[in-house]
Amino acid sequence: MHTDYIHIILADDDEDDILFFTDAFDELKINTKVNTFKDGEELMNYLNTDKAVMPEVLFLDLNMPKKTGLECLSEIKANDKMSGIAIAIYSTSASEEDIEKTFVLGANIYIKKPADFKNLKKVLSEVVSINWQYHTNSLNKDNFLLRV
Amino acid sequence: MKKKYLFESTSFLRSILLLSLFVILLIGGFTYKHIANLKDSTEVVVKTYKVNVELEHIISYLRDAESGYRNYIATKDTLYLRPYLNASEKVNSSFLKLKGLVKENSEQLENLKVLNILTDSLFSNFYKSNVFVKNDETNTEAFRSLYFKEKIIIDSIRRQSKTMFDLENKLLNVRQEDYQSDSQFTPLFFYSVLLVTLIFIIIAYNKISIDLKHIKVKNDQLLIFKEATNQSEIIGKHGNWIWHIESNMFAYSDNLYRLLGEEPQSFEATFDNFLKFVHPEDVEKFSKDLDKMITVEELPITNYRIIQRNGSIKYLKTYAKSFYSDNGQKRLIGNTSDVSYEIENILKLEEHNLKLERNNKELSAFNYAASHDLQEPLRKIQTFISRLEEKEGNKFSDSGRQYLDRIKSAATRMRLLIDDLLQFSRTNKPDKEFISSDLNTLFENAKQDMAEIILEKKAQITIDTLPKVTVIEFQIQQLFSNLLSNSLKYSQEETVPIIKINYSKVKADEEPDLIKATKSLYHKITFTDNGIGFDQKYTDQIFQLFSRLHNKKEYSGTGVGLSICKKIVDNHQGFIFAKGEINIGATFTIYLPVS
Amino acid sequence: MTPEESIALNDSLNDYGIEIVESQKGILVQKIKDVIIDMVFNEETNVNVKSSVYLSEKLGHSYGYLSNLFSEITYSSIENFIIIQKIEYSKQLLLNTDLNLTEIAFRLNYSSVAHLSTQFKNTTGITPSAFQRIIFKRRKIAQQKTN
Repeated sequence: MHTDYIHIILADDDEDDILFFTDAFDELKINTKVNTFKDGEELMNYLNTDKAVMPEVLFLDLNMPKKTGLECLSEIKANDKMSGIAIAIYSTSASEEDIEKTFVLGANIYIKKPADFKNLKKVLSEVVSINWQYHTNSLNKDNFLLRV
Repeated sequence: MKKKYLFESTSFLRSILLLSLFVILLIGGFTYKHIANLKDSTEVVVKTYKVNVELEHIISYLRDAESGYRNYIATKDTLYLRPYLNASEKVNSSFLKLKGLVKENSEQLENLKVLNILTDSLFSNFYKSNVFVKNDETNTEAFRSLYFKEKIIIDSIRRQSKTMFDLENKLLNVRQEDYQSDSQFTPLFFYSVLLVTLIFIIIAYNKISIDLKHIKVKNDQLLIFKEATNQSEIIGKHGNWIWHIESNMFAYSDNLYRLLGEEPQSFEATFDNFLKFVHPEDVEKFSKDLDKMITVEELPITNYRIIQRNGSIKYLKTYAKSFYSDNGQKRLIGNTSDVSYEIENILKLEEHNLKLERNNKELSAFNYAASHDLQEPLRKIQTFISRLEEKEGNKFSDSGRQYLDRIKSAATRMRLLIDDLLQFSRTNKPDKEFISSDLNTLFENAKQDMAEIILEKKAQITIDTLPKVTVIEFQIQQLFSNLLSNSLKYSQEETVPIIKINYSKVKADEEPDLIKATKSLYHKITFTDNGIGFDQKYTDQIFQLFSRLHNKKEYSGTGVGLSICKKIVDNHQGFIFAKGEINIGATFTIYLPVS
Repeated sequence: MTPEESIALNDSLNDYGIEIVESQKGILVQKIKDVIIDMVFNEETNVNVKSSVYLSEKLGHSYGYLSNLFSEITYSSIENFIIIQKIEYSKQLLLNTDLNLTEIAFRLNYSSVAHLSTQFKNTTGITPSAFQRIIFKRRKIAQQKTN
C-alpha cells in the first residue's frame, strides 16, 4: 500500500506547540501527514494497536502528563515493532547532560523548540530531510544522532 | 627519677640495717670471747695457786718427816716416826693432785716427775737409814753417808719445788698481763663499736626523716592531683575505673557514679551493676567490646548509651588500656566520659544541615522551575511575535512596527536572562558525576562551541597541554566556554583577540592567592586576553550574579556567565580569581585541586 | 545497488511523495551518489583531486549540470551530500577503529582537525567526542542487557 506523504507523529500536551508544529508543516513544501497526541499514554495506546501506522519520525515532548517522553522512548526502544522509528525529542529546554542522556536512551534527534517560527520551519525541514538521507542512502541508523 | 630515688633510699636503709645487725653480732661475739677469756684467766690463776699450795704442802710434809726422823734418831722414841710414816701417804696424794693440775703443762710435768723421783729416793734413804737406827749403828760410816745423802736430797727437793714454784709464778704473771691488756682493750673496743653503730643509726634516722619529708611532699602532691582529677572529672564529665582482671574487682571514681546519676560509691562497683545502667539496645555491643578488652590489650573507643534511674538517656564513651602492676597482675584502666552534649550538638547540627540542605534544594528547585517554566510562555510569545511579524507585519503603522521591535528585543533579552539563570541553577544541582577527564578534550569541545565567533573574530588561541583531572565534565567544558566567550565578547574593537591559556602545577603555599587552600597541590590554569579589561577594583564584584560592568547596549551580557564559572570552580573545591587592566586585558586564574 | 535495495529505495522515495520515473535523471543521480560514496569510503580513489573535477571526469558531464540535476531530484546539494557521507565515514572510523580525530581528519583529507570537528558539529549538532561517548554508552547498556 502506497501513501504519498511522509507520516509524522507529534506527542505534546501543549496546544500552542501543536498549532505551531502543524502550521509549520502546512507551510513547508513537503507532503506530510501529521498525527498528534495529547499525552504519552494516548500515543502509546495508539502505537500498540494492530492497525497503527508506524511514522517515519516521532516527535516527543519530554514533559507530558500521564506518561513522559522518556517513558515513551524507553517503551518504544524495548519494542521490536517500534524500535526502527526515528525518535525526535521535542523539548522546551535541555542541558547538555539531559540531551546526552536521551541520546544514550536511544533518541536520534534532539530539538530544542525554537522561539521563532521561521526557525521552526527550518529545523523541521532539516530533520525530515536528514532523516530522508538516512532512509534513502542506506546509512547506518545506529549512528544517526542530530541535535538542532 | 623519683622512683629511682626511692629505690636507692630503700636499699640504703637496708644496708644500714644489715651493717648494724652485723656490728651487734660482732659485739656479742667479742663480749662472749672476752668473758670466756676472763674465766680462763681466773682458772689459770686459781690453778697456779693450787699448784703452789700443793708444793708448799709437799715441802712441809717432808720437813715434818725430817724433823721427826731427827728426833727419832736422837731419842729412839718411835713416836717421832709418825710424821715420817704419814708424810709418804700425804706426799703421794699431793703428787696426784699436782699431776692433775699441771697435766697441760709438759715442762711442769717433767719437773713434777723429777720431784717425784727425788721424794721417792728420800723415802728409800729414810728406810735404809732407819735400819741403822734400829740396829743402833748410828755411828757407822754408812749411816753417816746415808744421813748426808738425805740432806742433799732434801735440798734438791727444795730447789726443785722452788723451780716449779717460780715457773708457775712466771706463768701466772704472763696470764695476768694478758688478762690486764684484754680488760684494758675491751671497753675501748666496745665504746668505739657503739659509736660507729650510733653514727650509722643517726645516718639512717636522717635518711628516714628525709624520705618521710619526701613522701609527705609526694603525698601532698598526690592529694592535690587527686582533687584536681576529681574536679576535672566533674567539669569534663568523665570518670575512671580500674578492673583487676585476676580478682575481678572493680573500682569506680566518684564521678563515674555521678555520670550514672548516682551518689559517689553508693553501690558496689561490679560489672553487673554497671550493666544495669546500659541501654538495652547497646548491651550486646557493650559486652562484646568489654570481652574484647580482656583479650586485646587496648580497647578501642566504644560508644553506648545508658539510662539513669530518673529515666534520662546519656551517651557515654569509654576507652581502656591494660596495665600491669609490679607483681605482674593485669589491670584494665578505663576512662568513661559523658558525650551526650557533643552528640546532641552533632544531632542538632545534622538536623540544621538537613534543613539547610532542604532549603537549598528547594531554592535551587525553585530557581530551576522558575527559569525552566518561564521559558515556555516566553518562547510562545516570541513565536507569536514572529508569526505576527511575518503574516501581519505590513499592516502595522510605523509606531506599531517600532513597538513590535521593542517587544521583540525585550523578549530576546528575557530569553538570554532565563537561559543563563537556568544554566546557573543547573550548576547548583547535586549528584554530579566526577570522572577523570582529559582537560584538553574538554577545552577542544568548548572551542568547538565557540567555533563561529572564533572564526568571525579571527581570534588567536594558544594553549599549553592541560592535565587529566577528576572533574564534572559538562561543568568544566562550560567553564572553558564561558571564559572563552567572555574574552571574545569583551575584545577590543579592531584588534585581533589573542587568548592565551597557560597551565602549571603549583603548591598551595607558594601561591599568594591560595590562603584558603585546603589541599597542597593545585592545577593552575590561566586565561589571559588582550580585551577591554576591567578596573581592578571590581575584581570581586565580577563573579556576583547579575553584576555587569558594562552597559548592556555596548556589550550583550546578563552577568551570569562568570557567576557560573565561580559556581563550577566552587563545585570542584577550587578557586577562581580575576585580574584586569582597562584596555590592556583580563586574566582569569583557575585553581583546581590535584586529586 | 541490489535490486532489493532498489525496490526499497523506490518504496521509500514513493513514501516521500516523490515521483520516481526510471528516467535518465534518476539513474544519473544514483550514479553521482555511487561515485561520491566510493570516493569517500574507498580512500584509494580519494586522491588530491577536487571532488567537482573528479565527478565531472568520472560521469562525463559538467559539474554545473550534475549539481543542478542533483538538487532538482534530491532537494539537497552535492556538497551537502559529500559532507554527510564524510561525516558518516568519520563516525564509522570513530566507532570502529582506534584512530583519533586527528588521524581521521588526515585520512578524510580535511585541512585540520578543527575543520573536521567543526563540520561534524555543524552537521550533527554534537561534537565528535560527544558522539563517540554516546554510542559507547549505548553499546555498554546493550551489552549489559544481553548479559
